[in-house]
Amino acid sequence: MVGRLSGASPDGTRRNALVEAVRYWADEHFSRGNWRLVLFCFIVLAPVLALFGYVRMGPIISSVILSFHKWDLINPIKPFIGWANYAELLEDENFWLSLKNTAIYALLTVAMSTLLAVPLAVFLAAKTKLSVVYQTIYFLPVITPMVPMSIAWKWIYDYNHGILNYVLSLVGIPSVAWLTDPGIALYALVIMGVWKVIGYNMILLLVGIRNIPSTYTEAAAIDGADGFQRFRYVTLPLLKPILLYVLVTSSINAFNVFTQVYVMTLGSQSAPGQAVRVLVFDIYQNAFQYFRFGYASSEAVMLTLIVLGFTLIQFRVARNKEGQDG
Amino acid sequence: MVETRTPLAWALHILVHAILLLGAIFMVLPIVWMFFTAFKPPTEVSLWPPRILPIDWTLENFRGIFEDAPFGRFFVNSLGLSLTATVSVCVTSLAAGAIFGKYKFPGRTVLFMAILATAIVPFESYMIPLYLQLIDLGWINTYQGIVLPTLFMSFGIFLLRQHTSSAIPTELLEAARVDGATEWWILRRVITPLSIPALSAIGIFAFIQAWAAFIWPLMVANEQVLFNMELGLTAFQFRFTADYGKLMAGSVLSVLPMLIIFLILRRQIIESVALTGMKG
Amino acid sequence: MRTRKSKSVGIDRRAALKVAAGAGIAAAAGMAFSKRARAATTLNIWTGYPELVPYYKSVAEAYAKTKPDVTVNLLSSSLREMEQKLSAAIPTGTGPDIFDIGSGIAIKFIDAKLLDPNPADVETYLKSGAWNKFTVDWFTQGGKTYGLPLLEGRAQMFWNRAMFKEAGIADAPKTFGEIMESAKKLTKFDATGKMTRSGISMRLSGQGSGITEKFRFVLEPAGGTLLVKTASGKYHNGFDNDAGRKALQFYVDVVQKDKVDDPKVPHDADAFANGHTAMLFREAWVIGEIKKKNPNLDYGVAPIPRWDASGPVKGIIQPWGVHVNGRSKQKEASWDFLKFLTQPANAFQITNMTGWVSAREGVDWGPLLKQTPQFEVFVKPPKDIVLFSDPILPFWDEIQTRIADRLPGMFIDPALNGNPAKVAEAIKSLATICDNVLKQAGAYGTA
Repeated sequence: MVGRLSGASPDGTRRNALVEAVRYWADEHFSRGNWRLVLFCFIVLAPVLALFGYVRMGPIISSVILSFHKWDLINPIKPFIGWANYAELLEDENFWLSLKNTAIYALLTVAMSTLLAVPLAVFLAAKTKLSVVYQTIYFLPVITPMVPMSIAWKWIYDYNHGILNYVLSLVGIPSVAWLTDPGIALYALVIMGVWKVIGYNMILLLVGIRNIPSTYTEAAAIDGADGFQRFRYVTLPLLKPILLYVLVTSSINAFNVFTQVYVMTLGSQSAPGQAVRVLVFDIYQNAFQYFRFGYASSEAVMLTLIVLGFTLIQFRVARNKEGQDG
Repeated sequence: MVETRTPLAWALHILVHAILLLGAIFMVLPIVWMFFTAFKPPTEVSLWPPRILPIDWTLENFRGIFEDAPFGRFFVNSLGLSLTATVSVCVTSLAAGAIFGKYKFPGRTVLFMAILATAIVPFESYMIPLYLQLIDLGWINTYQGIVLPTLFMSFGIFLLRQHTSSAIPTELLEAARVDGATEWWILRRVITPLSIPALSAIGIFAFIQAWAAFIWPLMVANEQVLFNMELGLTAFQFRFTADYGKLMAGSVLSVLPMLIIFLILRRQIIESVALTGMKG
Repeated sequence: MRTRKSKSVGIDRRAALKVAAGAGIAAAAGMAFSKRARAATTLNIWTGYPELVPYYKSVAEAYAKTKPDVTVNLLSSSLREMEQKLSAAIPTGTGPDIFDIGSGIAIKFIDAKLLDPNPADVETYLKSGAWNKFTVDWFTQGGKTYGLPLLEGRAQMFWNRAMFKEAGIADAPKTFGEIMESAKKLTKFDATGKMTRSGISMRLSGQGSGITEKFRFVLEPAGGTLLVKTASGKYHNGFDNDAGRKALQFYVDVVQKDKVDDPKVPHDADAFANGHTAMLFREAWVIGEIKKKNPNLDYGVAPIPRWDASGPVKGIIQPWGVHVNGRSKQKEASWDFLKFLTQPANAFQITNMTGWVSAREGVDWGPLLKQTPQFEVFVKPPKDIVLFSDPILPFWDEIQTRIADRLPGMFIDPALNGNPAKVAEAIKSLATICDNVLKQAGAYGTA
């Protein structure tokens, strides 16, 4: 191919210009000696990218294409309808409602699970026996599968027989209709979401804290910094990459909340659907209950764009902060 | 550590531990509640005031579940599928994470963002296209079809990238290169051992995710012999009943293996997370 | 030097990996080898009713006595997930030979030509008088028949005899007015004013089409209906009227004015079986639940009452069919099994074993009624019941689900309490939602 191409171009100067351009581009991106390094990178990445392409990128691209079609999942005929699904989405009350609920859920869950995990990790960073016990306990919810735990929580939240209302009644607080009250149901989900994820965030931050060479904090202590100052000016800045990871993954997971909602709205003693309608629930309903697969795909594309924008902002903020501190 | 504490520091110390203890109770309560409810007869499930421990311990709830399903088989399936997923996620996360974290090459940012962005897309929305691909491959109703989507985890690559870029000094790699080490050697002998804590963190997450897989195995498995635990439990659940004793018994069956594995490997999981490669 | 050293370590590592891989392969092999050897014909059956599995199994065993070369392979999951699995598998040719499914999905398969019309002998069998005309019509689409009726959902009123006796009420209510009067006497509160027992258990919260389905148990006797079919074959809502407003008012009164039910208290079959409520509209399977959970419960089952003395008794009927996959390679064997499955003896068994009622004619219900008289109204409903059903439309479930999104909020909205204008407004908004789905599907029309 290359031979034919160069043969077709008798003008040697033009060919040289092309080579120059490629060389210039290459020099821009990596020094000449790094060619082998780049080759190494791609050799290692190749199998991962192949798997990624097959199980993720491929199907996702198909679903993006589907978002421009009308398809009921069963009928082989799927007419192309351009942007119609997206236009409809903007006028869909359920979409806006689920966007609002998801945003509230994500904001509260991420904020609370991170804000609580940081002090937790700081307290438990000391290598004591008690610390190990606490770590184990706080990590337990992370390893429990979501479907059974949602069922357990549903029972804990039960108005009449739930243990949560019983505990509240011991301190004189009247029973709360955790699930059936439309004004409270979403917050009940937030509590459960924080319970589930806090241990994982804690462990990651703990790794981060223990990764900080003790010489840094010791030096700060000699300089007369108190505990809080050491945390604020030494630990926190060095924790930034892991904190960014925790924030980004928690947000993505929070925006994808579904299983809990599905279980909590099932049956009669459950949360009213509208009160806890979140985006993935809405997508699921459109796809598999209303059989509007193209429409559901367009909603998934919107969700992706929103969260992607959100994630990019988090990266940008983290980078700027690094710049300031460094 | 011998430190003289002021009364204020003591008060703070006690307060911190009181809060930690309260938090710990909050964390275990749902699991403890689920566990003991599974051993209660129906008459005790909705007692008021609630009792944590059953009065009449019963195995009736479990007997009901084991009656019509081969749960031993489901357990082996779940174990095999989850282990495969864990190994694969660890290998792919380490390979890609290290490359993204420690090397510069054209397209790095774009590729990394693409991998991260796909983590945002809800699985339910691209499950059907994936199912259609799998038909072409002839993998419907096979173990490899069930395990396929869990072999890869964007967050794993992300975590390993964060870890390698922050916790492994570039100078270490440069020093190895000066000594004449190949990149392959550096990846295996320098980066890998220093990434064990992050890998164990992501490994257990991969295991949990694969263990809890439900919707996809449901789509792909057409025969009971292929079922995992989650699928087995829901397949035999009655739809309309809120039979909490039995539901909780099913939940215990699904959670218990995870708990046991976690408690056995707790040292490795949490301690290895704490054993930072940096110290050496 | 360095490389060599690393190599030796590397081998150890590789050996460890080999052990791990070996273990993995062994596990995989262990999984694979127990796949059973197949008999000459294996019929794969999928069901969305896990409680039907023992029934299918017992029929398959009986069938194997006459056809020993046929084995049946069952797969079950909860209904919603099974619908999802079937809609992915049937169009792509990866589905089972036989499946049971509701009409909403079946019609999609029929429209997409994924189900064949019944073979001549099956059609003859269906129309042989083995089922009543209502049911046969149900399985007829465009002059052709599809599938065979397996069971039917009929909801009636369960009432707790002991509670009624205790409250001094002689018999089950005959009108909705009587329901409310009885319910007021039957509801109990504790000292703090918390409801401890509801007079009647209505579906007040949650999500999904079931909420609207139950709403229709009130709407239909009141004289309304969800969809009206026009002469030209189009549809429009049938509840933006007096009947719709009366039905919603009834719910609002139940929750707010008369306080005979509350979203917070236990509901549904469980609540009835455990004595947390005095009345419940539900299908026959609840009888099985009660047998399991509280066999000594003293209760009766009566038809859902008339709206008032002059109104008709209305009863919902929801046939549920079994179908043969149009892409099955064993259609003949499949149909043969289905004909066996729907014989009177097996029809008796489905009710006896699962509590679901078979729609089959010519079944001797005597032994069942002797044992459980509560089945009477299900298997021998009064002749004057006016039946209503779910129209067979692909967008039916969407209409019910979208209305169900709104109803729970309305039931507890204080603005609707004692405010007919607000109730009318609410009903109008539901009617708009309903008509919008129809318009989207191109099925809306008023003439």
